[in-house]
Amino acid sequence: MSGGPPKALPSTGPHSLRDMPHPLAGSSSEEAVGGDSTPSPDLLMTRSFGDKDLILPNGGTPAGTSSPASSSSLLNRLQLDDDIDGETRDLFVTVDDPKKHVCTMETYITYRITTKSSRVEFDLPEYSVRRRYQDFDWLRNKLEESQPTHLIPPLPEKFVVKGVVDRFSEEFVETRRKALDKFLKRITDHPVLSFNEHFNVFLTAKDLNAYKKQGMALLTRVGESVKHVTGGYKLRSRPLEFAAIGEYLDTFALKLGTIDRIAQRIIKEEIEYLVELREYGPVYSTWSTLESELAEPLEGVSACIGNCSTALEELTDDMTEDFLPVLREYILYSDSMKSVLKKRDQVQAEYEAKLEAVALRKEDHPKVPADVEKCQDRMECFNADLKADMERWQNNKRQDFRQLLMGMADKNIQYYEKCLTAWESIIPLLQEKQEAK
Amino acid sequence: MTENNFWLKKIEISVSEAEKRTGRNAMNMQETYTAYLIETRSVEHTDGQSVLTDSLWRRYSEFEVLRNYLLVYYPHVVVPPLPEKRAEFVWHKLSADNMDPDFVERRRIGLENFLLRVASHPILCRDKIFYLFLTQEGNWKETVNETGFQLKADSRLKALNATFRVKNPDKRFTELKHYSDELQSVISHLLRVRARVADRLYGVYKVHGNYGRVFSEWSAIEKEMGDGLQSAGHHMDVYASSIDDILEDEEHYADQLKEYLFYAEALSPRAVCRKHELMQYDLEMAAQDLASKKQQCEELATGTVRTFSLKGMTTKLFGQETPEQREARIKVLEEQINEGEQQLKSKNLEGREFVKKAWADIERFKEQKNRDLKEALISYAVMHISMCKKGIQVWTNAKECFSKM
Repeated sequence: MSGGPPKALPSTGPHSLRDMPHPLAGSSSEEAVGGDSTPSPDLLMTRSFGDKDLILPNGGTPAGTSSPASSSSLLNRLQLDDDIDGETRDLFVTVDDPKKHVCTMETYITYRITTKSSRVEFDLPEYSVRRRYQDFDWLRNKLEESQPTHLIPPLPEKFVVKGVVDRFSEEFVETRRKALDKFLKRITDHPVLSFNEHFNVFLTAKDLNAYKKQGMALLTRVGESVKHVTGGYKLRSRPLEFAAIGEYLDTFALKLGTIDRIAQRIIKEEIEYLVELREYGPVYSTWSTLESELAEPLEGVSACIGNCSTALEELTDDMTEDFLPVLREYILYSDSMKSVLKKRDQVQAEYEAKLEAVALRKEDHPKVPADVEKCQDRMECFNADLKADMERWQNNKRQDFRQLLMGMADKNIQYYEKCLTAWESIIPLLQEKQEAK
Repeated sequence: MTENNFWLKKIEISVSEAEKRTGRNAMNMQETYTAYLIETRSVEHTDGQSVLTDSLWRRYSEFEVLRNYLLVYYPHVVVPPLPEKRAEFVWHKLSADNMDPDFVERRRIGLENFLLRVASHPILCRDKIFYLFLTQEGNWKETVNETGFQLKADSRLKALNATFRVKNPDKRFTELKHYSDELQSVISHLLRVRARVADRLYGVYKVHGNYGRVFSEWSAIEKEMGDGLQSAGHHMDVYASSIDDILEDEEHYADQLKEYLFYAEALSPRAVCRKHELMQYDLEMAAQDLASKKQQCEELATGTVRTFSLKGMTTKLFGQETPEQREARIKVLEEQINEGEQQLKSKNLEGREFVKKAWADIERFKEQKNRDLKEALISYAVMHISMCKKGIQVWTNAKECFSKM
């Protein structure tokens, strides 16, 4: 449970929105995530910089919720250290330590949110609060309301759809924790969202419920004005670049859906294979009881098949816990992005409509009235925000999938390596007596 | 027959081809069957080169005739089994059709294996009918039938199916019977589960092939990620198609197990064990018969009637017999007793001989079995090692492609 000493926070002070480095800085900008100084309690890792391909095995003794599946968060931290923007990072957030609460009315899980920041927006350098899923849900809704021109990261699904999954099982809770951690880190990473008032309160308030009841939120100018746009305007045509984004998202979501189905099918087949293997191995054991000279070799084969079965079970567990949830997350992400695109369309439509109205008025001085100017402003801001977010999203998506798919390949490699070891180790056993003869 | 020994030591036998044929069967109906080409080569001792000496075509039913003949004439030998008549323990990919090329191929190998086993058996290899099987194409059937083995086979079959109780069986045979029953059961179970395992494994590999297509489609809409995805997809296709060869190899292992399954069948209810029981039973009956005759004799001599006999009854009813009659009867009985004792002696001898020979062959068989099965397990492990290495290779390649995304 030991972690390194908290990383010294850069003393560069707070940045205003304009001074923040543009999210597109450098083609190799890594997934900028926070929360580095409090490594997950179950991992001791050797930091090896600049080696993107290395998925580190657990260096120390795993405890409680640890599993090789945390390698994805491990790699997150690894990339964090490698990040060239490191000096500008001044906010670190981590989600960990799930705890079950049993009350008269309900039972639920809370997670500990640890925040470390040197930003002026935070009164204290460090915070530790407890939040439950509905708090995260509230935060996301508030962000969508107050920052409608930006892409808000997705939350893991609220309800468990498939099968009878235990909401309080260790695997489910851990999967959810990772997703919630990712959610907060993505917000932390965002130059605009990370400064959001609600986000700040979420991270710091002792009593979040009181704040929720207030109902008053400080909206940014853009947010407020966009909020008032009713859906009455029809867009003639989407500008090419946004149309392209829309098309891309459609196809992307489709392909991810297919990959999700394939992955699920593979897991299903693997589990059925496992069932048969679990019957197969013991038959060799039974046979060995009939034999004298062949007894040891047969028993050896039985044990070997047993080891392969265990390795396979680990593989299917890993894929279920780590691979599938991330895929689903991205499908949700692209869905929410499409709705942001539609909102943008609305803003543009309003502007165009108002502009047209002015043109029809046939005034002598075709000076554009103030409110039309405001509309144009709004539209251009929205477009800029969206474009910037889109590029940032593309970059992160690339990193995330690179990591995800490499992780998948890795798990399969590990599975085969375990099986290889098992089979290689019985060869001497099988050959042994023959030579002695 | 000595020239046979010498000859058979330096020959190579192979079942090199299989061919579909049509012909008319005994009921003059058209039928399709497969014929197998048996080639015999003798190896020149001087330069080690082999020369084709004989080649002829045989079908499966002729192999069966040969085997039945051997079973009848060598009851103390564990006769090698034939490959299965119909495909059993199949998993979904293989068809259960006897005409399926994969099945025919595996049967060809099985038949070759059978001939090689017979040829390498110290006793069976000397048999003339076997020699003729390899060399005399036409007329072979007639020659076999002339030995009259068919009649013997029938009576043997009848005897084998009869139920009787043996009082003092050789304990070793009882154990052997028990072992072969258990062995049959466990190998059958193993083969059944293995077939299911193969089926599932096939599914796992093939589904991965779908990644190939979807990665390719996805790569079309990506800029930097495209190449990595595309090439990774290719590796997924390679992975998916690799399972065909892997399972092909595994069938060979299954065939080796099957051979011993059939061997186990040859051990117990048929041939060796049963033959021993038959002889033992025969012996016991003869001994019993002798004992009762001796008793009768004694009774007649002493005049006491302890055992029930028809003669005794009639004597009681119709009066005593004359001393001359009694003498005559005693003489007859004494002759029978003598004969009986001779028979018992020779039966005992026969029985002991049989047990000795049979047990020698069983020991030989046991050693062969242990050797063969160990080899089979080793090559099974090697197969799996190769499969794991291929898996590691493919996924490492895919990982590299992903890293370039």
